[in-house]
Amino acid sequence: MTLAPAASPVPSAARRVVAVHLDNVHKSFGAGKIAVHAIRGVSMKVHGGEFVMLVGPSGCGKTTLVSIISGVLDADSGKAEVFGVDWRSLSRDGQTIRRGEYIGFVFQQFNLISTVTALENTAVPLLIRGVNRGEALDRAAECLKLVGLGERTRALPSQLSGGMQQRVAIARALVGRPRVLICDEPTAALDARTGQQVIELIKSGTRELTGGAQDRCVIVVTHDNRIFHYADRIEEMEDGKIKERPSDLVMEESRRVHDYTLDPPDEPAPK
Amino acid sequence: MFRIAVRMLLGDKSKYLSLVLGLSFAALLIAQQGAIFLGLMQRATGPLQNVGQPDFWVADPKTRYVGEVRPLSESDLLRVRSIPGVAWAEPFYAARALCELPDTSFKTVQLFGIDRTTFIGQPPMMIAGSIEDLRMPDAVIIEESAIPKLGGVGIGDTLRLNDQRAVVVGICRATSGFESNALVFTTFQNALRYVPQPRNSITFILVKSKDGADKAQVAAAIDAIPTLKAFTGEELVARNTEFIIVETGIGINFGITVMLGFIVGVIVSASIFYQFTVENLRNFAVLKAVGARSRLLIGMILLQAFLVAIVGFGIGVGLAGVFSWGARRPGAELAAYFPWPLLIISFFAMLFCVGAGSVLSLRRVLTLEPAVVFK
Ligand SMILES: Nc1ncnc2c1ncn2[C@@H]1O[C@H](COP(=O)(O)OP(=O)(O)OP(=O)(O)O)[C@@H](O)[C@H]1O
Ligand SMILES: [Mg+2]
Repeated sequence: MTLAPAASPVPSAARRVVAVHLDNVHKSFGAGKIAVHAIRGVSMKVHGGEFVMLVGPSGCGKTTLVSIISGVLDADSGKAEVFGVDWRSLSRDGQTIRRGEYIGFVFQQFNLISTVTALENTAVPLLIRGVNRGEALDRAAECLKLVGLGERTRALPSQLSGGMQQRVAIARALVGRPRVLICDEPTAALDARTGQQVIELIKSGTRELTGGAQDRCVIVVTHDNRIFHYADRIEEMEDGKIKERPSDLVMEESRRVHDYTLDPPDEPAPK
Repeated sequence: MFRIAVRMLLGDKSKYLSLVLGLSFAALLIAQQGAIFLGLMQRATGPLQNVGQPDFWVADPKTRYVGEVRPLSESDLLRVRSIPGVAWAEPFYAARALCELPDTSFKTVQLFGIDRTTFIGQPPMMIAGSIEDLRMPDAVIIEESAIPKLGGVGIGDTLRLNDQRAVVVGICRATSGFESNALVFTTFQNALRYVPQPRNSITFILVKSKDGADKAQVAAAIDAIPTLKAFTGEELVARNTEFIIVETGIGINFGITVMLGFIVGVIVSASIFYQFTVENLRNFAVLKAVGARSRLLIGMILLQAFLVAIVGFGIGVGLAGVFSWGARRPGAELAAYFPWPLLIISFFAMLFCVGAGSVLSLRRVLTLEPAVVFK
């Protein structure tokens, strides 16, 4: 498996498909005095082939924004399109089906089903779509091999280390070949070196699965500056808005390549 | 996905165990209370439990309870015998008598008088001695559980029934009645001697219709006699049960207990199952996020509910069955009766319990915002 080098040159945006399109999106939680205006008029585009990082201080609305992009949360107003379809134009079930087809998720908390093997956890998105069990498990096994867990398919999440669990989660996110991969703080629960492996996997795994096609994108929410340099583009949020351009500090971090490959090898799995 | 639903259920052994144990307890409660109630109702039918041969029990049309009858006359018996289609009609006598025991204590016994030639109405099973010995003078047959109650009497011993001599010639097995008096069988004529009746003396007329005769017609002919009505065993049991439920406190008291068992069962199992779903809420949210539609989630939850219902039902009813089997030992004072309709009723009760729980669970899961996966 080839691991990605740092930020690769990006072809001119104009020639590529628009994968995600937000236009003046607003979102509030609660009402009256206690209302929190979490997203205050965000507009942005993510093109096919892009690997975008969304950074910013805690509470600035990053998670809320990717929830809206991935269709698990409705915007109050504005447009939130994925490949030309506004989430709010769909029924609940319609949204669910489209999420299954278009979106892959990697969470900070891994969110694996604890009583089910790595292989079955990975196969879940396919099983939900009605792919027959044999085929789903075969494809899941391939994906686990891709993330380096080909030998641990029968393991339960509790028998795997945090890094391995996150790799299972990446395999699960990729198995359905999503057009948009959403990762919320994928490295926050991991140590530095494991975090780096995970972000590399996200990058290389997506490329491997898509064969380098320019019709898919990855959005990673993080405030882990040590992985900033993997991004093609960084968007910085502040107080519910996206800054016109990222601050100098962020840009500086994004040019600094941290390398942990000299650190001790992969953490051991708990017994 | 259904396999995964099952895995979610079975994967956490301790949770699964507490779920199943809770449900078994609920099922046990429901089945057990039901069995005891039915057992008592059955006991309350007294002689009906032990007499199997007749098609009809003829009694006064107003009869409501086996312990409360208006006696019939000799001429009633003759009129029934003269109805075409009647193969035989025999008198049956039930009364209470006082039995003096050798140690000067006494005991009320339930006395049954049966025809001395045909022995129609005889106890279902002889353990010692022979039913024919009842033709000997002053002969009585006692029920085995009555032996200790009557001071350990055996064959050949003499008792005093209402101050008259009675010789034990046999031991039988039969189910005792409500009051759990000792059962004593003798001939119709003997019984009348022990407990004389001023005028009419027949408690029930036991009737069998001829082979090939239309039973409904025979019954109609009997019913046509103004002072008589032909009851099938089931009809009499139904009247009896209704009487006990309506006229005695047993119906309301036991009804409350059964209801309580049921309500506790519903609450326990519904809340346990709901709790199980709540603990799996994050999993359901993830499934929702990655594309599981409501239909699929409903299917998964109902499957889980159905599985635990079946397992819980099996264990609970198994225990209730063991219990009522124990209660069926001859002479047991415990009344429990477990017929198959009760099995079906408790199964549906169980389904209802878990169904109530899964409705709550479904509401929770279906209204769940998938956005919680990021939390
Ligand atoms: N379900 C909710 N109900 C009420 N308020 C919410 C809810 N979700 C988020 N918020 C509020 O919206 C704001 C943005 O939250 P969000 O989780 O998007 O921030 P974030 O940038 O992801 O923060 P972090 O880096 O800590 O994850 C915060 O003030 C938060 O308290
Ligand atoms: Mg967040």
